[in-house]
Amino acid sequence: MTGGPHMADPIFIAVAVLTVGTAILALEARELIYGAIALAISMLGIAGFFLLLDAPFVAMFQIAVYVGAVAVLIIFTVMLVRTQALFTTKEDKKRKGAGIALMLIIMASLGALLLASGLNGQFGNFDNAQTVDFKQIGHLMLTYYAPALIILGLTLAGSVIAALALARREDVEQQHERTD
Amino acid sequence: MATYTKNFRFGEFVGSLIWLILWILIIIALVGLPLIFIVLFYVPLPPVNGQVLTPYLFLTMTVDPSRTLPIIKYMIHTDLFRITTFPGFTYAALIAAVTIFIERKFLAKMQLRVGPLYAGKIEGILQLIADGLKLIAKEIIVPSGADKPLFWAAPIAFVAAAAAVVALIPAAPTWVAANVDVGLLAVFAILGFFPLIALLFSWASNSKYPFIGGLRALHQMIAFEIPFILSALSVVILSGTLNLTGIVNSQITSYWFIFFAPISAFVFYISSLAELERIPFDLPEAESEIVAGWLTETSGMIYGLLQLGSYVKTYALAALFVILFLGGWAGPAVMPVELIPGYTGVQIYNHTTADAILWFTLKVFGVIMLMLLPRGISPRIRIDILLHTGWYKLIVLAFINIFVALALIYGGILGPGGLLVR
Repeated sequence: MTGGPHMADPIFIAVAVLTVGTAILALEARELIYGAIALAISMLGIAGFFLLLDAPFVAMFQIAVYVGAVAVLIIFTVMLVRTQALFTTKEDKKRKGAGIALMLIIMASLGALLLASGLNGQFGNFDNAQTVDFKQIGHLMLTYYAPALIILGLTLAGSVIAALALARREDVEQQHERTD
Repeated sequence: MATYTKNFRFGEFVGSLIWLILWILIIIALVGLPLIFIVLFYVPLPPVNGQVLTPYLFLTMTVDPSRTLPIIKYMIHTDLFRITTFPGFTYAALIAAVTIFIERKFLAKMQLRVGPLYAGKIEGILQLIADGLKLIAKEIIVPSGADKPLFWAAPIAFVAAAAAVVALIPAAPTWVAANVDVGLLAVFAILGFFPLIALLFSWASNSKYPFIGGLRALHQMIAFEIPFILSALSVVILSGTLNLTGIVNSQITSYWFIFFAPISAFVFYISSLAELERIPFDLPEAESEIVAGWLTETSGMIYGLLQLGSYVKTYALAALFVILFLGGWAGPAVMPVELIPGYTGVQIYNHTTADAILWFTLKVFGVIMLMLLPRGISPRIRIDILLHTGWYKLIVLAFINIFVALALIYGGILGPGGLLVR
């Protein structure tokens, strides 16, 4: 956000260490609640990446949605459920090693794919990168991407109605409890 | 009666004082002065009267008034001053302190009581300092079985989040610590931290009343978050910007948005009461039901920090109301153009900024009084009514004004080139 591309490097490294470190902590923490908090901090780190990429609008939504809502829901669930009931820990070194190896293979293949694809050329010219203007995003959403926006809106509205239908309780009607 | 220790000698007392002064002088000479000079070499210093201020001359120059003023002027315009002092934390904390005192006296007068009376002769004006000293002196008791790291971290995080909201609030033209393009969104993003902190703190207390209070806080804040954001949305539509300074400027060039979006202002006011856990929405700390809610296990400065945080948050939300609906710092010019007539030296005083600060502070106090008012007259509401209000009524009300705002924009009344835009 501030300074040129050369200023961002130490900040980038700090945010990267924070994000990856807390992500590992989220997996490895003994207490589930600390794992959930680490996950929230990791999401904050991702918001930091968006800020570094000159996309403050996306960064703010990342914080509002992921830290403000998703992390709260996860912590809420973790608090109400006993750890023993949730997991039977099967921890042995083979599984762990296999997991890490699998993760490295996936990351390496994804990276190779990205480097091989046409996206590669765009990574070089940071100097010409412009701030992603949220007004432009809004304009595009209502013009070029309007059909996609309408479909998304209908999907979300449908899922909200479905959630209401699922959460609706028949036995509440019998109690005749006034709510206002 | 004060008692002396048995082998007390006045000479030894004086001797110990002299030793103390000697040690302080040695430490200042060996550590303090070098530290000041190291800092001065790294801090950029302003030119004074055409002469570059060097660290060697700093101490001699600061005692000369004609040279002190430029230095003060330079210091006022640094980012550090903005973050720590004027639109930032000290200003907010000062308003928070005044709010606590006003709240106690104001509610007392409403209910025909006297309120704080004894500390400081005149109307208990020193009550706040006495309370603060008491809180600092009290022992902090951490409950057994509490999650210690979270128990200590949550109050600090609470104050830090409140201060982060304050950093985004402009108090006068160009006087803001962080002038970001997406200021309003940033405010709501930070406000999302508060339910998380309340929930974590209540869990860390390892006690059932705090936990019930924490769950209530979570329900309440999430239920009112959506009408809160929606009510600000109509202002965004009317002004066409998310930048808080931009929103104020668009009200200066037309009219205050409370005239165009009164329903939004009402929804915003109710939602901010719920967000602040103030009566009638104080279910998370309902003292007659669940001891003190999520604050039950707090003592000493942990309680002090949470109180400070919540009153700083009160200032921040009142200031946000002023910025969104009451035209921010707009107001008639009342301050004198010159403080000292005929003075032609370095100017620190700027009458437009002084006007802006005056009107902004006055409006903020007006809104704060409005937020304090329900505490004197209203009982606490039931939780199902609270959730019903948040999820059903306020969201619908907020939508009404969004459509009004859209009609005003598309009807050519407001917005670029509108009828009512000067």
